[in-house]
Amino acid sequence: MVDFSLSADQESLRDLARKFARSDMAPHAAECDRTPRFPEEIYRKAYELGLMNLNVPVEFGGSGLKVFEQCLIVEELAHACGGMTTSVIANCLALEPILLGGSPEQQERFLKPFCAEYNFASFGLTEPSGGSDAGGLQTRARREGDHYVLDGEKCFITNAPHASLFTVFATVDPSRRTKGITAFVVPRTARGVSTGKDEEKMGHRASSTSTVRFDGVEVPVNDRLGEEGEGFSIAMRTLDQTRTPIGALATGIAQAALDLAAAYSLKRQSFGKPISEHQAIQIKLANMAQAVHAARLLTWQAAWTIDQGGKGTLESSIAKCFASDSALHVADEAIQTFGGYGYMKEYPVEKLLRDAKLTQIYEGANEIQRTVIARELLRRYA
Amino acid sequence: MEIVVCIKPVPEAETRLRVAPDGRTLDPEGVKFVLAGYDESALEQALLLKESLPGSKVHAVAYGPAPRTEEVLRAAVALGADLATWVEGPPGVGGDPVAAARALAGAIASVPHDLVLCGKQAGDDEAGIVPPALGELLAAPDFGSVVDLRWDTSASRLTFLRSTEAGGERWESPTPCVIGLQQAWNDPRTAKLPNILKSRKATITKRPMESAPPGPRSEPAKFELPPPRTGARMVEFKTPEEAAQKLVRILREDAKVFP
Repeated sequence: MVDFSLSADQESLRDLARKFARSDMAPHAAECDRTPRFPEEIYRKAYELGLMNLNVPVEFGGSGLKVFEQCLIVEELAHACGGMTTSVIANCLALEPILLGGSPEQQERFLKPFCAEYNFASFGLTEPSGGSDAGGLQTRARREGDHYVLDGEKCFITNAPHASLFTVFATVDPSRRTKGITAFVVPRTARGVSTGKDEEKMGHRASSTSTVRFDGVEVPVNDRLGEEGEGFSIAMRTLDQTRTPIGALATGIAQAALDLAAAYSLKRQSFGKPISEHQAIQIKLANMAQAVHAARLLTWQAAWTIDQGGKGTLESSIAKCFASDSALHVADEAIQTFGGYGYMKEYPVEKLLRDAKLTQIYEGANEIQRTVIARELLRRYA
Repeated sequence: MEIVVCIKPVPEAETRLRVAPDGRTLDPEGVKFVLAGYDESALEQALLLKESLPGSKVHAVAYGPAPRTEEVLRAAVALGADLATWVEGPPGVGGDPVAAARALAGAIASVPHDLVLCGKQAGDDEAGIVPPALGELLAAPDFGSVVDLRWDTSASRLTFLRSTEAGGERWESPTPCVIGLQQAWNDPRTAKLPNILKSRKATITKRPMESAPPGPRSEPAKFELPPPRTGARMVEFKTPEEAAQKLVRILREDAKVFP
């Protein structure tokens, strides 16, 4: 039996996220975007309310939510501000490799102290020479006795300037391509770790992004996740878990755009009546609503598939790709509904377009998502 | 200190209310009910007192129908209430406040209570009758519009400020007593995610509806939505001077407010 209704438990989680999003995030969204500013007081409160380490089991101090419940929360947060949401949920991405590839001892050692306090962690996969071609990464890990020495640079790393912990992917042998990639946990305090300047970005400006350099950083063998060569698999399985919430994030941005456009259309007059009475605007709103509904349902289905124990690679790629393309389109149409006012920074819709754009690029560019979708699809016909 | 907090599920402020077909009640269909307003302050005040007086307990009590009454009690547990009692009430929205006070007093009388805290009035009908009625029914002193409630350990008394039109009145009272809260020391807190998850599994003690509840002393004659507002005019302008000139002209010539 298919059931699209939420349980009372799920509704109470969504209510918490909605309340926090509306009363704590939304009032500061425009200012943090304009300045730009990384609003520590908001992130600290998100941590205190239990909204930051959503995927980490309760025994390690996280919230222990399944992907579906994570998605409910992420959509509500993103409705208020996509950039803040990116920074609030980045720990989920950074800590997932420890959940998937870490030993019980490593999970206890890294996750417990991390989650016990307000902390940021960053996921270090992308490099200046390539993001989508993760198998070709250049950061080296050379084994020297009981430790590795890491050398290389990661870029576009969310929350890096504020992170106390990094999960880093490096290769023990570039000629082995994906088979050489190995995952490590590196504390910020390790000698030779440095972060670059805060990048000036088009959107998600309340979030912080920088490069991370590793110059001869010594990492104990104990801090390697899994075996040598397992890193690529850990990274891909991590993204299988975290891609769906990006669909939810995009859905939240799209819903915000639809809400603003619909409300504006009822107030704005042209040719002697509200523009909502013009068919041109009605068709726009109807198409936007379809995109938002479809994005949400695809996201829910992907999350449900993963929570049922499925891999969900196809479903989560479809959800992320469709929801992010929809977010861009819906935000664009919202601006069009606002007309000239929509293009002005004084109104909130142009920010949605800038924020939506990133959801097509990060956590696997949509070109990669389509490659994955086609591969999964064609396998069924071969 | 054993602190009882009376809370009421009320429609969320953003809910669009509809009158039921009978014209005398509100249609609960699609209405989201929440813990809101002064009741939130009462609960916050109870939690602050509990935190300042080790060994204290907060017991949330609510009167009303399923599922909304149980839901606000779970919200209270998520915020920090130790116990929750649901006094079953008739379906529908609103109802006779004296009947509510009777039902609540029955539940409160059967549990330890040094202090009974309520919002000074409910977030929906704003009747403000339950706190004084509880005082009468429990034979305890009652005070309304209270802010800044504290426990004076040396005198074993509650001290508090009553907010009035003219300013404030400083009071003190022995326990047990009934207090209608206007405002707590703090802004009401937000429940944390782990506590929300725990509250879903909390035990809610249910007191069934009385078999022959006393008839209501009051009931609404009619509900109607306010008529849509008309007569608003938008004045378009490019400069403040132009706006002022146009407004003066409208006030003089159309509205005839000025000669």
